[in-house]
Amino acid sequence: MSFVSVHFLIFTAICVAGYFIIPKKWQWIWLLLFSYLYYMAAGVRFLFFILFSTVVTYIGGLWAEKGYRSVVPLALVLDFGMLAAVKYTNFMVGNINGLFGTNLREFSLILPLGISFYTFQSAGYLLDVLWKRCKAERNPFRFALFISFFPQILQGPIGRMSRLAPQLYAEHTFDIRRLERGMLRIAWGYFKKMVIADNAALYVNVIFDNFDTMPGYGILGVLMYSAQLYADFSGGIDIVIGISDMLGIGLDENFRQPFFAVSITDFWHRWHITLGTWMKDYVFYPISLSGWMGRFGKFCRRKMNKDVGRALPICLANILVFLVVGIWHGPAWHYIVYGLYNGAIIAASGLLAKPYRKAKKALHISDGSRGFRVFQILRTFMLVNISWYFDRSGSIRQALVMMRDSILKFRFSSSVVSSDSTWAGSSAAVFLCVIFGMAVVFFVSVQKERKKDVAGAILSKPLPVRFVLLLALVLCLVLLGNRPLSVGGFIYANF
Amino acid sequence: MDELIEILQDVQPDADYENCTTLIDDGILDSFAVLSIVSELEDQYDIRITPADIVPDNFNSAQAIYSMVKRLSGEEE
Repeated sequence: MSFVSVHFLIFTAICVAGYFIIPKKWQWIWLLLFSYLYYMAAGVRFLFFILFSTVVTYIGGLWAEKGYRSVVPLALVLDFGMLAAVKYTNFMVGNINGLFGTNLREFSLILPLGISFYTFQSAGYLLDVLWKRCKAERNPFRFALFISFFPQILQGPIGRMSRLAPQLYAEHTFDIRRLERGMLRIAWGYFKKMVIADNAALYVNVIFDNFDTMPGYGILGVLMYSAQLYADFSGGIDIVIGISDMLGIGLDENFRQPFFAVSITDFWHRWHITLGTWMKDYVFYPISLSGWMGRFGKFCRRKMNKDVGRALPICLANILVFLVVGIWHGPAWHYIVYGLYNGAIIAASGLLAKPYRKAKKALHISDGSRGFRVFQILRTFMLVNISWYFDRSGSIRQALVMMRDSILKFRFSSSVVSSDSTWAGSSAAVFLCVIFGMAVVFFVSVQKERKKDVAGAILSKPLPVRFVLLLALVLCLVLLGNRPLSVGGFIYANF
Repeated sequence: MDELIEILQDVQPDADYENCTTLIDDGILDSFAVLSIVSELEDQYDIRITPADIVPDNFNSAQAIYSMVKRLSGEEE
């Protein structure tokens, strides 16, 4: 059941209405019921995967709390083993065939709904129990809700037991202001998804799918992909947070104006935040503080200059983390390059931090200066866009060819905004929809960057003004949205 | 404590370690800086810091870091 469908809207409306009608002590059971209904709508056969993960993690958590620490690695192997089996088997088979000339048959595997997200959430829970950051949940059904809460299962945000679970199990009273705030957030999410992402997708698909026959449009393609990916993913998260807000459940934010980032490190603090913090807490720190990394660190500090010796092990751990991020994005080499590219830049900036600080001091460049900040934002935006070539292309070769052609064969002809059939239905109107949508998002982002509560400001306006604004958003969806309310999947739902 | 402030200054000079109590919450120390501090603390005080110790409460201020070092080295505060 796609988020962008009438079925989903009706499903959500019934869930929210019923949630506040039934006795409060049953609210969490109601959510569990709707979460499993949502999951089963994708296919009853997928139930096995989420039930397996739930049972393994539930038992693992209880045993870890009793002091059987070795059960945690076992549970993690089972959880991630299942994810790896469905997500990476064919990738391995393809690579073995390519390397050894064998003819092993690929399996017909469909990725179960949300498996990456609930596996990560499960793993985080196990480690939190092990490290005594939260208590193990004793009620298996309550625990099942923590793993399956339906709005977030498709594309996150990845929740933490200590913050999410108490809200899921609490009794909530109906609040009209929260309902309105949630609806506004949902409408904003649909605006991003339908007006920007699904319109930009037309350009992205044509340019990336025909990179060899229509070379030179790479810059337009990658800029459109920036708009599409951000609007698609953050729009989806807006819908998730909006629904949860209506139920009285506050989820962690997953985006914070990522295109205002001043470095790649800063970008990852603003983009897919819950994945970044998950990687930091459960992969980066454990690798960096492991025994073998500690010995490597001591060796580096003994043999090298103090600063380099201190930074090198951290850089290595960082590259390993981004290797995992790349593999998580998908079973393909171009995703691995995408991850390593990000990791290498962050590692280099860590290694060069001191000389960089000295150079800025020598050149009298202040971090607070407006001009330098604009330079940093533009530099980061360019570096991020280079990474998108690897993310969106079907292969490393395609990414490299498109980058080369973007410069050497640069084109931006008027046909881009015409009704030419080459552009698969794109036209001046579609182009302008994306530009208009991004202009609105940019304006809102600037306000948020200035720490202004945009939603709060709208909700404090008189009722007629609020009604007109919500109506304008809905009208935009109807008039400018690319797809009818029945199609349109989300990019990150495939991860 | 002075020795600790020196270590912090060396890793990340642009911070007010005497007064700031939101070093992590305000992003003054990022994960790179935290790990640099950890490696220095491990060398300097011969302690072992584990992933379970890397929580904002232990790194939000110089005092919090100092308390963690004392705790891990088995000394009374």
